[in-house]
Amino acid sequence: MTTVRHPVATASDDVAGRRLAEEGAPRTPSAGRSPVRRRRENWRIRGELAILLGPALVVFVSFVILPVVLAAYYGFYKWSGFGTPVDFVGLRNYVTILTDPAFHEALGHNAFIVIGSLVLQGPLALGLSLLLNRKMRAQSLIRVLIFVPYVISEVVVGLGWGLMLQSGGALNGLLEKIGLGALRADWISDPALAIWTLLIIITWKYIGFAVILFLAGLQGIPEELSEAAAIDGASYWQIQRHIVLPLMGPTIRIWAFLSIIGSLQLFDLVWIIWGQYVASTAGTSTMATYMVANGRNAGSYGYGSAVAVVMFLISLAVALIYQRFVLRRDTAGALTGGTK
Amino acid sequence: MTATATLVTPRGGKAPRRAPVGTNRGSSVIVGFVALLLIGMMLAPVVYIILGGFRSNAEITVDPSGFPTRWNWENYADVLTSGVFWGQVGNSAIAAVATTVFVVALGLMAAYALSRYRFRGRGAVYALFTAGLMFPMTVAITPLYILVRNLGLMNSLAGVIVPQIAFALPLTIIILSPFLAAIPNELQEASSIDGLGRLGFFWRMVLPLAVPAVVTVGILAFVNSWNSYMLPLFILNNEATYTLPLGTQAFASQYSVDTARVLAFTSLSMIPALLFFSVFERRIVGGLTGAVKG
Amino acid sequence: MNTRKILAGAALAVAGTLALGGCAGGGGGQNADGSVTLTLWHNSTTGDGKKYWEDTAAAFEAANPGVTIEIQAVQNEEMDGKLQTALNSGDAPDLFMARGGGKLADIVTAGQAMDLTDKISADAKTALGTSLNAFEVDGKNYGMPVAVLPSGIFTAQDLLTAAGVTEAPATISDLEAADAKIRATGVAPIAVGAKDAWPAAHWYYNFALRACSKDVLDAAATSRSFDDPCWLQAGENLESFLKTQPFNDGFLTTAAQQGAGSSAGLLANHQAAMELMGAWNPGVIASLTPDEKPLADLGWFPFPEVPGGKGEEGAIMGGVDGYSCWVNAPAQCTDFLNFLVNKENQENYAAAFQTIPASSEATDAVTTPALQSALKAYTDAPYVSVWLDTLYGQNVGNALNVAVVDLFAGKGSPQGIVDAVNAAASR
Repeated sequence: MTTVRHPVATASDDVAGRRLAEEGAPRTPSAGRSPVRRRRENWRIRGELAILLGPALVVFVSFVILPVVLAAYYGFYKWSGFGTPVDFVGLRNYVTILTDPAFHEALGHNAFIVIGSLVLQGPLALGLSLLLNRKMRAQSLIRVLIFVPYVISEVVVGLGWGLMLQSGGALNGLLEKIGLGALRADWISDPALAIWTLLIIITWKYIGFAVILFLAGLQGIPEELSEAAAIDGASYWQIQRHIVLPLMGPTIRIWAFLSIIGSLQLFDLVWIIWGQYVASTAGTSTMATYMVANGRNAGSYGYGSAVAVVMFLISLAVALIYQRFVLRRDTAGALTGGTK
Repeated sequence: MTATATLVTPRGGKAPRRAPVGTNRGSSVIVGFVALLLIGMMLAPVVYIILGGFRSNAEITVDPSGFPTRWNWENYADVLTSGVFWGQVGNSAIAAVATTVFVVALGLMAAYALSRYRFRGRGAVYALFTAGLMFPMTVAITPLYILVRNLGLMNSLAGVIVPQIAFALPLTIIILSPFLAAIPNELQEASSIDGLGRLGFFWRMVLPLAVPAVVTVGILAFVNSWNSYMLPLFILNNEATYTLPLGTQAFASQYSVDTARVLAFTSLSMIPALLFFSVFERRIVGGLTGAVKG
Repeated sequence: MNTRKILAGAALAVAGTLALGGCAGGGGGQNADGSVTLTLWHNSTTGDGKKYWEDTAAAFEAANPGVTIEIQAVQNEEMDGKLQTALNSGDAPDLFMARGGGKLADIVTAGQAMDLTDKISADAKTALGTSLNAFEVDGKNYGMPVAVLPSGIFTAQDLLTAAGVTEAPATISDLEAADAKIRATGVAPIAVGAKDAWPAAHWYYNFALRACSKDVLDAAATSRSFDDPCWLQAGENLESFLKTQPFNDGFLTTAAQQGAGSSAGLLANHQAAMELMGAWNPGVIASLTPDEKPLADLGWFPFPEVPGGKGEEGAIMGGVDGYSCWVNAPAQCTDFLNFLVNKENQENYAAAFQTIPASSEATDAVTTPALQSALKAYTDAPYVSVWLDTLYGQNVGNALNVAVVDLFAGKGSPQGIVDAVNAAASR
C-alpha cells in the first residue's frame, strides 16, 4: 500500500476507507476547503449523485416499490380486475388468507422447502466443493457440467422432469429394467412423495450454483494456512473444520440467504409440473401458486394482491431476522471473503 | 495478507516435506468416482430430453428409458426450420440483451454512488435496494401487470424488459457495492491529483477494474432474463411476441400428443443458454472468485 | 478503453432493439385505409377444428372485401386466464369464445361485451331457438351459440361388450356393477382427467343435478352460495361412488384432452372404457386415436339416475359454446357472428368438431351414433343446466372445482365442497 499522502488528506482517511459500513465512505478530498467552495462542491456532489443514482432509483421505485404499494392498496378491495376498484372491504381479504387452511398448507410447504434446501444442498455443496477444489484434469469441464442445470430455464426443467417422472415414464421404466420394479411409484401425484420429489428437483437445479459459489469462496482462502496447519500436525478434517469452514462463513451465510429467499418465492417449477389444481392435492402448493390460482385465475385481483402483500411481509420478516442474527458479523454486502 | 505473515514464521532447519493435503492416490480415485457420479446425475435428465427428441412416440410409450433405435432427425429438423422457434429465440435474445446492458449500466452507477459517496440517507437507499430482494416478481406481478397495462406496454417486449431491469437491480447492486468499495482510496486520491473528478475516476479507472464483477452480474442478469417465465406469461398474450420459455410451454401443450416433438423443441430451447454459458464459463467463476476475493 | 467502447456500442444497440421491441401486437379495429381487421380467439389448437376456423374466416373475407380476420388458437386450459388478461388490459380480441352463465355475466358487468340483442338476424333467431338463452344477461343477449354440448358418458363399446356389460347403466348402482366387471378384464373402467380439475368437477355437477331441484340450481347463480342441503347430499353420493374406485390409475395427474395419456386419449386407445364428458369429446378422441380417425366403437349413454334426489329424471347438464363480440369491436363483428350460424357453416362445424351444432337447421349433419343419442337425450330433457362453474362465475367456479378434486384425492369432504364455495364468495 502506498504511503504517499496527499497534503489535504486527513489522518482518518486510511482507516475510514477500508470499511464499507454505513458511515464509512471515503471522505472526499474537499474536507478543509473554504465554506464557499464546500457549498459549490456539495452541489456538484449532489449533481453527480443524481446522475449516478437517479436512473436506477427511478426505474426501481416505479416498477418495484410502486407495484408493492399498489398491491397493498388493492388488497383492501374486492376487485375483478376491470376498471377501478370500488368495493372496499378493509382487512377482510387478509383475514380470509390467514384463516384459509389452503394457505396454511402452502406456507407449510414453503417452510419445508426452505429448510430442506438448506439441509440438503448446504452440506452436499460444501463436500463437493471441497472435493473439487484441487487441481485435476477436467476441473474446468466438471465446473461447467455442474452448473448446467442452473442455466436451464425452470420451464425446461419442469417439462423434462415432468415427463420423466410420470407413471409410465423414464424413471419407473429404468427401475423396472434394473430389477428394482418394486420401487415404482407415483412420484408426482402421491402426496406422501410429491414434496420430496420437488425437493430433489430443486436440489438438482440449484446445487451447481451453491458449488460454484463455495468454490469461489474456497479459492479465496490462502493455501498457506492449510499447509501451515498441516505442518503443525493437523489432519485433513481438522483443517477443514477449524480453518476452512470458519473462513467460508461469510460465503455460506450469503448463499443461505439467497437460498431462503428463493425458496419462499418458488413458483415456476411447481406451476409447470403440477399445475394449479394438482399442486394443492399433491401437497406441493406454494404461496406463489396459491396467489396465482386464487387471484388472477379466479378473477379476484384484490384477493391476489392481498396474498402478495402477505408473502412480502413474511419474506421481509425472515430477511430482517436473518440479517439481524446471522449476517450481523459480515460487512453489509455479499460475497466478501474477508476484510482487507 | 498480514494474517498469514504471523503463521508462516520461518523455522530453523528443514521441516519435513509433506505432500499437499489430501492428494494421495486413494482419495483421487474417490474424487474421480464422486465427480463421475455427480456429472451423471446432473446430466441424466438433460440427456433424456435430448435423446427423447430422436425417438418416436411409440418407442417412448413402450420403453420410456431406452435409447433411440433409429435416429429420427425429423423432429429436430421440423423445429429448426419453423419460423416460430426462431422468432421466439429472437424475442428472448432482444429481451435478454437489453435487460443485461441496462442492468449493468444502472447498477454500476448506483453501486458506485452508494459505495464511494457519503451522503445522508445513503444507508436508507442501500436498505431500499436490499429490501427489493424481498419483492420477487411473484409478489409484485398483479399490480405490475396493471401498471404495465396502464402504460400501454402490454404485448410488447419493452413491457417485459423494463420490469426485469428493475427487479435485477437489487442483486446487482448488492454484488457490486462491496466490490467497488474495496477499490483503494489511494487510487482515487491519486487520480484526483491528476485532475480527475469523481465521475472521471468512475469512467476511467473503476470501470476497467470492475470488469470481473460486471461479468458475473451481467451473466446472472442475462440468464435470469432468458429463463424468465412468469412476467412474460402475464404480459405477452400475442403469440408473435412470445419468448422462448413461454413458447416452449405453449408448444408442449399444443403438441402434447407428440411427446418426441415436444422433447426436441425443449432440448433446442436449452441450447442457447448452454452455449452462452459454456462460452463465458471461465468468466463466471473468475468473476465470482474475484468478487469474493474483493 | 476497450470496455468503454463496448459499453457505448452496446448502449446504442440496445436503444435500437428497444425501439423494435416496442412494437405491440394488439387487437384489430379500423385501419387507416378503411379496411377492417377482426381478431378471433378460439380454442382448437390442432386438427380439423383449427382448419374449420381458417376456412370459415377465409370464406367470410371473400364475401366481405376489405375485412381481414386474424386468428389465434389458444389452448383450452389457458383460455380463461388469457381472456381475462386481455379484457383487463383494454386490448381484447374482437371475437372471443364464450360459454354464457356467470362467467359471461361478469364480463358484461364490467362493460366489456357488446350487446347483440338487436343485431342477431331473424333467421339466426329461429334456427338457434332456446340455445340463445344461455347467453342472456338481464334480458339482453351477449353471445351467439355455435354448439350445444350435453354431458354424458362416452364409451368404447367394444370394451363394454367384452366385459359382459350389455345394457347402458340406468342407475348409479348399475354403473358401479358395470365398473367391477370392466375392471376384471384389466381395463380401467372410467377415465377422468383430474389434473385440469373441471373433468372431476363434472361428476359433482351431475350428482348435484340429480340431487337438487332446478330452482335451487338457478337460485345459486345469484346467491353464489350453497345453502340448500341438496348440495351436501350430492357430495355424499359422490363420495360413496368414489369409494368404489372407478377411475384409471394416476387420475390426479391425468390431463383431460392433451396427449395420449389424457383421459380422452385413454378412451381413444382402448385403455379405459368410459368417460364422462361433454359432446365435444368425439372430436377430441378422434385426434388422439392411433390412426387419428374417429373411434369406431364410440357409444354414449346419459348420466345415470341417483335415487333420493329432487332433480327431475332425464335432466341434462350441458354447456353451450358460443362467441361474443368485444364492446369496442367493429360492426363487422356481428356480421361474422350471423355468418357463423348459417346452415352451411354450422354443418361444417358439426363435421369438423364432431359435435352437435346449435342451429336446428344443421342437426342433420350429425352422423356419429354417439352424438345422435346425445342429441336425442338433449331434446327430450325436461330442462338443461349449464356447467356449474360457468354458471356461478370464475371465482366460485374455481373454488368449487378445486374442492371436488380434493374430494377425489381423499383430502376433502362433502362438507368441504360446500364450505369452499361459501368461502369463495368472500374473495
